[in-house]
Amino acid sequence: MSINNFSKVVIVAKDEWRYWLRSKLAMTVLAIGLLLTLSSVVVTTITMHELSHDRHELQSNAEQSFVDQPDRHPHRMVHYGHYAFRTPSPLSTLDPGIDAYTGNSIFLEGHRQNSAMFADQRQGTALTKLGSLTPAFIVQTLAPLLLILIGYSSISRERESHTLSYLLAQGTSGITLIAGKGLALLSVVGLIIAPLAVSALFTVSAGESLLAVASFVVGYALYLTVWVLLILLASSVFSKNSGSFTALAFVWILLCIVMPRVASTSASTAVPSAGKIETDFAVKAELRKLGDGHNTNDPAFKQFKQSLLEKYNVNSIDELPVNFRGLVASESEAKQTEVLNQFAEQRMQAELKQTQVSRYFGWVSPMVAIRSLSMIVVGTSIETHHRFLRETEQLRFDFVQGLNKVHIEVLDYQDDMNRNADAAATKKARVSAENWQILQDFNFNVDSADVRAQRSVPAFLQLLLWIVVLLGGIKFVGKRLI
Amino acid sequence: MSYLITQLVREWGFLLRQKYVVVLLLCSLILSGFAIYSGLSEVSAQQQTIERLKAADQSDRAKVQQKQNDAGMLAYYSFHLTYSQPSNLAFAALGERDIFPWKHRINLLAIEGQIYESDSQNAELAQAGKIDFVFVISALAPLVIILLFHDLFANERTSGRHDLLVTTAKSYFALWGARITVRFVAVIICLMLPFFVGAVIAGASGSEVVYVSLLCIAYLAFWTALSVWWGKNATSAPRVASSLIGIWVLFAFIIPILGDLAINKSVHSPKGGDIMLTQREAVNDAWDLPKSATMQPFVKEFPEFAPYIDMSSEFEWKWYYAFQQMGDLKAAELSKAYRDAAAKKYELAGFVSWISPPLLLQRSLTRTANTDSIAAYDYEQKIRDYHQQLREFYYPWLFYKGDPTKAALENMPRFESTTQSSN
Repeated sequence: MSINNFSKVVIVAKDEWRYWLRSKLAMTVLAIGLLLTLSSVVVTTITMHELSHDRHELQSNAEQSFVDQPDRHPHRMVHYGHYAFRTPSPLSTLDPGIDAYTGNSIFLEGHRQNSAMFADQRQGTALTKLGSLTPAFIVQTLAPLLLILIGYSSISRERESHTLSYLLAQGTSGITLIAGKGLALLSVVGLIIAPLAVSALFTVSAGESLLAVASFVVGYALYLTVWVLLILLASSVFSKNSGSFTALAFVWILLCIVMPRVASTSASTAVPSAGKIETDFAVKAELRKLGDGHNTNDPAFKQFKQSLLEKYNVNSIDELPVNFRGLVASESEAKQTEVLNQFAEQRMQAELKQTQVSRYFGWVSPMVAIRSLSMIVVGTSIETHHRFLRETEQLRFDFVQGLNKVHIEVLDYQDDMNRNADAAATKKARVSAENWQILQDFNFNVDSADVRAQRSVPAFLQLLLWIVVLLGGIKFVGKRLI
Repeated sequence: MSYLITQLVREWGFLLRQKYVVVLLLCSLILSGFAIYSGLSEVSAQQQTIERLKAADQSDRAKVQQKQNDAGMLAYYSFHLTYSQPSNLAFAALGERDIFPWKHRINLLAIEGQIYESDSQNAELAQAGKIDFVFVISALAPLVIILLFHDLFANERTSGRHDLLVTTAKSYFALWGARITVRFVAVIICLMLPFFVGAVIAGASGSEVVYVSLLCIAYLAFWTALSVWWGKNATSAPRVASSLIGIWVLFAFIIPILGDLAINKSVHSPKGGDIMLTQREAVNDAWDLPKSATMQPFVKEFPEFAPYIDMSSEFEWKWYYAFQQMGDLKAAELSKAYRDAAAKKYELAGFVSWISPPLLLQRSLTRTANTDSIAAYDYEQKIRDYHQQLREFYYPWLFYKGDPTKAALENMPRFESTTQSSN
């Protein structure tokens, strides 16, 4: 585009702004848009900071109360258990994603993999089924509507008031005109995204990487660009304002309100996944084969006992230099965990497959594309939750086995066997509280920015495809503009 | 009469010749159909899951009972399935069943440690929300109506026919009434027809269907009246539509969001984590406390076991389960406050919904279908009651009757599902 043409584009854009400044509707819409985005940024930032603070505190409390426990039988501590809390990622102030839908705390104990508990939605008012005041929701759903309200008539208005043919006759090409109107709308996009970009940049100081921040802002810019192009196209195609408006409103309903739900409904129908309780039966059946780790006489441990006797070259378990009950507990925990993890992994894979199906709908709805892009980049998507589950499982296994190690090495086998005889024997079957210093500090971190960026590539491609197709359409229409 | 019919027939003809109206109506029909279809398949999937779980639960417990004889071990290893059946109307209003669990397995350990376990569905799908009939009617139908009715007058004005039509028409009804009636009836048919088909398939009762239909029609009439009235004097159709969509945004998003913020600020609820911690501390401390510290408060609750609280060793199951129950008792106040806060929030949300018609419709329909959070709390209470029954069944065996016979196990309390409908 030559300099001359570009300055023409700018003139058209300036003129469009002049029109908006004079129109009550445009100004109201702009003001509402900015107000909504700003307040959503503020409200969500405060909420997520509170959550982050609460969960950090709960985490350190849990760790403190664990080490503060008195002298005990080590297996008691296995059942006393520990808690892990998921602290939100810095960028989640802009898109809390699934945070309110998954539980955010897990009780970790021996022999079991508990599910996450206390999803915030369950304490909710059920008022926000359609949407909540998060920047993600405002920009994904409402911003396109605001852009439509401001821009639906950008070309059709000129046509309806017969200024279009005049403009074209003056030597302004159709493409230049559309580009000018587009530039004006893009400046509105800039206004909407600005608060988002600023607060995203702030998260850098909280440890978020620039790559994630950049992908986040660029993703939303691309998304709103898709809408600008859609608006320009509709406005150029329809001969009347009302036609252009009706068409755009209809497209908005379809893409923003209907498609995300069609996507999730289709995904859960297409890939049915068994719930936790249901898989638990299969897990139980497998576990039963492994024997009960509390019971050293369980026939399942016969072979294990034999191999131990051979290893230590002794004739009976009483002669073992280590605590046999602890060994059984440790052995059976390891085997159980293997089974539990295998089933947990299956469940997660099924959930991922479901999510994948719903993400394919991004090819037909830019809203679905930006939704997944945003959650993935921010680190509030299902992948992050799975990461949380895997890390807490590692934490669980480590501390349970740590306690079992204490059980094996510190507690005498005879004392252990007699633990219920009388009060003195019970006391003897305890180990010192110093042994509780086995917890690792648990800090949940989302995946690295690279990994998140990689995951978001399909969503970026979806948005880019939309842009390419729409640009092609506009080029086609722009040449035939009358 | 025939005059009326001619007017209506003429308007039907007009309507069917307008391409965008037909497209809009067809889309409504397809969406409503999809919502009903997916609602039906979701409900049937839930019912099948429950059936499978019931069978698996029975055989699982049978295996435990085969392997264990000791009352304490039996109680420890036996899990019991509880579930909440979807009602006959659930297909139209899936409600909160994707967030609140509708199936649970419990054993005799402290209930507070078990009840918050969730067997939830894919969180990312839950966050996007599902399409059900309630969503189509409360959120989408207003938009369809706005698009259909906003240009009723403006269209004729901009094409310069308005004044001519007004002066030549025989009556107001002949001109506008017939047109409004025809469009309104067409919308109702497209949106409601799939619901009626679904209701027949799901076996919903006639009175429920009539009630739901009346609510929906009244709601749609409200939006139609609003759209017609708003557009009466307008000359620019898009301007009418944008203000109407603005009202819709206000009702569907702004009021609920602000209401949610206000309610969450005003109602304080104990943190879920605190309930768990309290309960866990209570249960674990009991191991190190003198036995009487558990048994004394226990016999206050269950005086009938007072003669049997002496223990012959340092570990007995009766003491173990007694301190589980005392752990529940310690957390009871927090746990009740937690539930009360949720109930209070729901109640306050009811006031908010009076100024937001879409919310009001959603609440009424999910209440009728028994899929709202009230239903979920009822189910939670049912689990608690059932757990209490199990305790009452096991305690005599644990305290003085010894190990239960296989025949005695037959008399174990069974979980009664929640009612099929709210009536």
